Amino acid sequence: MRIKPAPTIGAFSALLCLCFASSARAQSGADAVEFFETRVRPVLAENCFACHTSTKLGGLEMVSRSALIKGGNSGPAIQPGHPERSLLLKAVKHSHERLKMPPQGKLTDEQIGNISVWIRDGAVWPDAPATQAGDASRITDEERNFWSFRPVREPEPPIVRDEARATTTIDRFVLKRLEENGLEPAPPADKRTLLRRAYLDLIGLPPTPRQVRAFVEDDAPDAFANIVDDLLASPRYGERWGRYWLDVARYSDDKLNSTQMEPYPQAYRYRDWVIKAFNDDMPYNLFVKAQIAGDFLEGGKNPNLVAGLAFYGLSPQFQDDRIDATGRGFLGLTVQCAQCHDHKFDPIPTEDYYALLGVFNSSKVDEFPLADEKTVAEYQKKTAEIAKEQKQLDEFLGIQARQLVEVLAGNTSSYLEAAWNVLGPLRRGVPEVAHEFLLDEETLERWARYLDHSPRDHPLLDRFTEFLTDPSPGNLRPWADEMETLVLDVLREKRRIDKENEIRLGGEDSSRARNEVELLSLERDRHFLWRDLGSAQAFTAAVGFDHGVLYYAGAEIDRFLPAAWREHADRLRAKIESLQKTLPEKYPFLHVVHDKDDPKNEHVHIRGSKDNLGAEVPRRFLSILGGREFKTGSGRLDLAESIAGPDNPLTARVMVNRVWLHHFGRGIVNTPSNFGRMGEKPSHPKLLDYLAARFVRNGWSIKAMHREIMMSDAYARGSESVGKNEGIDPDNRLFWRANRRRLDVEALRDSLLQVSGNLELSGGGEPTLVSDPANRRRTVYSYVSRRKLDKSLGLFDFPNPNRTSPQRIGTNTPLQGLFFLNSEFVMRQAERLSDRLIDEAGWDDAARIRRAYWLVYGRPPKKEELAMGHEYLRGGAGAWASYAQALLSSNEFLYIQ
Amino acid sequence: MPPGTISRRDMLRSVGTGLGAVGLARTLAAGTSSPNPLAVREPHFPAKAKHVIHLFLNGGASQVDSFDYKPMLGKYNGKPYPGGNLKTERKTGALMRSPFEFKEFGESGLKISEIFSNLGTCADDLCIVKSMYTDLPFHEPSLFMLNCGHRVAGHPSMGAWLTYGLGTENQDLPGYIVMCPGLPVIGPQLWSSAFLPGSFQGAYVRNDEEDPEKLVSYVRNPRLRPRQQARQVELLGKLNRRHLGQQGHAPELEATIHSMEVAFRMQVEALDAFDVRNESTRTRERYGDGDFARGCLIARRLVERGVRMVQVYYGNMQPWDTHQDIQRMRKLTADSDGPMAALIQDLKASGLLDETIVLISGEFGRTPTVEVSGRISVQNGRDHNSHGFSAVLAGGGFKGGLAYGNTDDFGFKAEENPVHPHDLHATMLHLMGFDHTRLTYRHSGRDYRLTDVEGKVVEALLA
Repeated sequence: MRIKPAPTIGAFSALLCLCFASSARAQSGADAVEFFETRVRPVLAENCFACHTSTKLGGLEMVSRSALIKGGNSGPAIQPGHPERSLLLKAVKHSHERLKMPPQGKLTDEQIGNISVWIRDGAVWPDAPATQAGDASRITDEERNFWSFRPVREPEPPIVRDEARATTTIDRFVLKRLEENGLEPAPPADKRTLLRRAYLDLIGLPPTPRQVRAFVEDDAPDAFANIVDDLLASPRYGERWGRYWLDVARYSDDKLNSTQMEPYPQAYRYRDWVIKAFNDDMPYNLFVKAQIAGDFLEGGKNPNLVAGLAFYGLSPQFQDDRIDATGRGFLGLTVQCAQCHDHKFDPIPTEDYYALLGVFNSSKVDEFPLADEKTVAEYQKKTAEIAKEQKQLDEFLGIQARQLVEVLAGNTSSYLEAAWNVLGPLRRGVPEVAHEFLLDEETLERWARYLDHSPRDHPLLDRFTEFLTDPSPGNLRPWADEMETLVLDVLREKRRIDKENEIRLGGEDSSRARNEVELLSLERDRHFLWRDLGSAQAFTAAVGFDHGVLYYAGAEIDRFLPAAWREHADRLRAKIESLQKTLPEKYPFLHVVHDKDDPKNEHVHIRGSKDNLGAEVPRRFLSILGGREFKTGSGRLDLAESIAGPDNPLTARVMVNRVWLHHFGRGIVNTPSNFGRMGEKPSHPKLLDYLAARFVRNGWSIKAMHREIMMSDAYARGSESVGKNEGIDPDNRLFWRANRRRLDVEALRDSLLQVSGNLELSGGGEPTLVSDPANRRRTVYSYVSRRKLDKSLGLFDFPNPNRTSPQRIGTNTPLQGLFFLNSEFVMRQAERLSDRLIDEAGWDDAARIRRAYWLVYGRPPKKEELAMGHEYLRGGAGAWASYAQALLSSNEFLYIQ
Repeated sequence: MPPGTISRRDMLRSVGTGLGAVGLARTLAAGTSSPNPLAVREPHFPAKAKHVIHLFLNGGASQVDSFDYKPMLGKYNGKPYPGGNLKTERKTGALMRSPFEFKEFGESGLKISEIFSNLGTCADDLCIVKSMYTDLPFHEPSLFMLNCGHRVAGHPSMGAWLTYGLGTENQDLPGYIVMCPGLPVIGPQLWSSAFLPGSFQGAYVRNDEEDPEKLVSYVRNPRLRPRQQARQVELLGKLNRRHLGQQGHAPELEATIHSMEVAFRMQVEALDAFDVRNESTRTRERYGDGDFARGCLIARRLVERGVRMVQVYYGNMQPWDTHQDIQRMRKLTADSDGPMAALIQDLKASGLLDETIVLISGEFGRTPTVEVSGRISVQNGRDHNSHGFSAVLAGGGFKGGLAYGNTDDFGFKAEENPVHPHDLHATMLHLMGFDHTRLTYRHSGRDYRLTDVEGKVVEALLA
């Protein structure tokens, strides 16, 4: 096809002159590259790449200079050095008769001028995209141009057809999409519904009857704004919204220890810090920085910033978890997927994973004392002292106990014969026999108990059982003598082995060292004979013994000790006791991470295997986000700045989306921790950018974000269906109505407690068990376990704290039904509520029913509802509590409308 | 999306946050419009098996003392293992023969240790995989692997996948039930639904009591008599339906109403299902005493009632972890061999064995060499072994009377036809009617599945 000369060449020349000043620099190679990277590539990326890279619309693939020269179906796109002859320029100037690009709207004159200058200067397009660092070479322009990686730009609010409805800027964006899709917004919710929604949303508790009445009667135009402000100022707000963040931060009060509960002693300080940060409206960028690098902010001395480091200090002890939580939690990126290979869908080369792994491998879990140095030093000194004295005492008593084993073993023959008298046909009493045989009574009693119990783990004493049925066993004595020799021999051999093993261990006592070393042991049966008689430790085979038959542990041994020995032991005990008395409780401290002394880069683990190392990767940020190289220590500070910096396109978008999600029950991006290609596309991209831009402009204030969202009409809509909309948007992706949401477990439990008059509002500090009937505190203060999550939390979809959790999945199961029908907790609240009704409404059924409806639903009952109540309450004793339980289990109470 | 996979969104809808009957019917092929996430769903293709019972010998049972007969081990007792330096957790020494006799059982003549001679009577129904192996010689990753197909926490367990894929047949009982008298090592993470909806997590029941009211949470109202409670539930239904009437189309509210009704009925059903006192004395004697025996008997009762998957852990922590003394296996089998056999016999007699996979396995095996490390005080036991172990399967389309694959001459390393837990999972899912690569769930940007990116169906095991 022949391209006609452009008719507007004159105008173009003028434009070219205008731009000449800025292009004068673009002569040398490096400058030309810079000019392309800063002025041209971003314009092409934003406007052209979506259709003209891998999609190749019109046959045009804008991936390199040569590809542009080759062009598409309409011929070459550029002729370097000759902008006026280049199809590309004609298309963007809309001077071509058919091609007018980009279709979504003409570029600005300045952008067109820059493209022209670039072509004139030879259309320099470096082979690999020039970024500062990082292995970005495998990232394509199309990937770079993916929506979530584009910079946040505050869009112009759209014009809507029905201007009268566009109350707020948010509404413009929402209405625009509704209009485009032929959807009718649902009518606004009534005032009661709106108030209840606002309360449950912001503080996780329903309004009291008084609060409902006051609001319903308040006709002032700013009545709802005042409510929002009051709720945001309430300390209850942080208890609600802090918990959402704790889901992301996989907060837990203990470690996933595989054999037992292992609590973090002071994890709650992080939980309280998060709550306070929300209540104080800590700017979100600072909130992020504190959690990644609080030890580098304000000289590392401000506990209010350092406390955030528990994001890693309390995390599961795997680096891939830390990278996962960092990626998904702050950035909405599944960086962890790049552990074994380049990310399959997002532009995250595997080097990026190891660049971050270097950061976390250069950091270590630590404690940050919240006490002065003297207190810390004193405490540590004292604990060391106690440990020392205790060790001395244990060693001393251990030596005595082992010697006593030898002493008592020397009498084995007599004890066996005496035991026959006790257990055999004679059935004589222990004290009498011990007296006759001149034996220790307790020891004989132990022997008898041991010999009476079978089967034993060894057969060596089995013969004894045969003697028991024999009224006068002639062979008993010789056998018993034989056994005595055997026992003494076993003890001797055991001593020898222990000594040899000690040498083999060489003072190492870790389980790792013990795994590797080869030690000696007694032959099996002899071992179990020794264990049963002489072991200091408990063993499962024994019934009623904490240790061997002849072993006297701790104070048990005192009566065998000579006076001077006993005094020595008592002195040590007294000393330990007095030291313990003066030992204060452990000083408060924060669970944090600190840099190691020797920060190091990691090597790529090829296919994730640490036995197959690839190239070393410098510690740096994700390539797609600039790949900034990290210079300070481990790199956490640089990481924090890269994430929380104003240029990061993801951080603000991800957080405003989380806020939106919890207000609407659905995110603008409904995969809140995945803004990559496999995540959901935003339903309202421009609205998301508007919110993100506002968020940053308002100093990253989350409270300001709440206010803006909650003052929109979109927030205030009713949840009722609008007939024709159901066919178009049944999932309500475009927010034409409010979503009905079941209370999550915290709001559920807290609301039950509040309505029954039992909620205790003391906040903070040590966690309390949900299962404890005396626990009436808000659920956010409950003990959260990685090992064994509380039954009722788990039942109501509390997230698994072993991984970062993007959003709750509300399930609806019969087991939850059983909880409402039969749990002590629900029944207790129902009983309290029925007591409360008497206190507040007297004995008149009608008055009580009315009060119940106000407390539980925030409204008066209708006539039929009153009648229903009366009818039910005729059921006799206990009917009130069971009535209250039904109200508390009903959907109107359990759902936010 | 390939047919048969259920998207996260559809799942969310079906569990009540926006369910439309139309949407559910579209995605859940069973043709039901029930809003219940546990409603029965059809698998990818017709299934041989409908249920799984996993009897977990937690701690890692020794293969060379149970199902992997190695005459060479007796012959070379006390000699070094010639197969090279295989990594295990701890230091081991010379080869150690099994203290137990092996006998031939059944027409198939499977060689089984004397301590499993009750199970031996079921030999012609057993499919012994002698060539299992797993990744690491440590309990935690191996427990996660066998249960969840991954080495670390945070992935759904097999039971969660099965109930996600199939729902369950009895809506009055949980679809996936896990029994242990206390907790095994790691604990509830082993039956977690992880990122799958919570309806699919294992319902944990302690089997250390006889009285079912003490076993199942919230199953009995301590105050209201059944008639009073029926009245209360009726009132609740009225309140909810009135409320629903004002809301118009509100499927999530309908779902809650439905699950409350199920809960009410479940009280009766669950109490009965867990009550082994309803069994005849003769039956109870066949199973014998003990927590594990009770677990096996309850497992049978649950499967009879349509529960999709039951897991019974032998005991708390890791009783089969016989580092010190292999003789302990005699005690461990004294109260497990009998009930396992009784369970298989009962299932066979009722015909349920045809559609129930019974899996008997620990998380890994043990070394044929004796442990000599400094962690133990007597050297008569075996260390962890991830290189080779045995799993026993019965029923549900597995070929009876078969010993498949093999370890080396001493039983250390799977050499002939090695089978990884991924392969075992793939095979079990196959018998349950699933292409394991297509039973997926979209989470955090990728499709997850039980078999990660591995797994192949072991055709030779299929009847």
